[in-house]
Amino acid sequence: MSKKSSIGQTKNPRSGHYVKIDREKGKIISHKKSEGPYKNVPVIKKRDK
Amino acid sequence: MINYNPIDGDVYSKRIKYRPRTCFIMTKLGKPIPKEIINMRRTVAKYLKNYKIEIIDASSIVTGRDFLVKIFEMILSVPLGIALISKKFNYKTIANIFYEIGLLQALGKETLIIKTEGSNIPSDFIRTEYIEYNNKIKEKISEYLKTYFELAEHYELLGCELIKNPITSIDYLKRSYLMTSESNTKDKINKIISSLFSPEHFTEEIKKNIKNLITS
Repeated sequence: MSKKSSIGQTKNPRSGHYVKIDREKGKIISHKKSEGPYKNVPVIKKRDK
Repeated sequence: MINYNPIDGDVYSKRIKYRPRTCFIMTKLGKPIPKEIINMRRTVAKYLKNYKIEIIDASSIVTGRDFLVKIFEMILSVPLGIALISKKFNYKTIANIFYEIGLLQALGKETLIIKTEGSNIPSDFIRTEYIEYNNKIKEKISEYLKTYFELAEHYELLGCELIKNPITSIDYLKRSYLMTSESNTKDKINKIISSLFSPEHFTEEIKKNIKNLITS
């Protein structure tokens, strides 16, 4: 099984733009200014409650 | 998160009792209240109730203490603030309302402005979402609340993903919990807090992140 990447992205519903996060550092590392997701960065799936 | 007392600037250390799924209404409370504001408030209360969101305002509780501190505490306790604006308001009422919106935004709360047609919004708030009070109000509020609950999920997701930075993680989860009142979210917060007090979980990385958060 492949190791989970420490970098991921998710869409902020208010801005409609993606944010890139670093799980290892526990930080948001950038906010995308344009439409659509970052290339080659996995989109984080929503967790079940 | 450290909060500061708006009166004396000291660190505000009083424990706040949270009010999940509650909306703080900012509008003119003293008489005379324009009829359109009375109708607007009734409409907002009705639609929020459909989403199990209660409303409160500065007159909902009596503390016998400073009025601004009371407002500050109420704002800290809720996830959402809605301003009801009429063009009939005088500048003092408008100034108070926008001061409170500023407080909410600075404290990471969600905000919405509902205004009558023809009311002006100060330029600093031009990017703050607003709805005009007309016959499309129901659809507009529903649309806003759809995004609001999506945002709560977004905060929850970030709270779970940024766990290596426990203070940020707790803050995101707290905001999500206030918006949804989900007990699962509260459990997650308690779990993180417990782990912070277990030395075996308090890794060097977590220590470094907390230090960065405090000193950056």
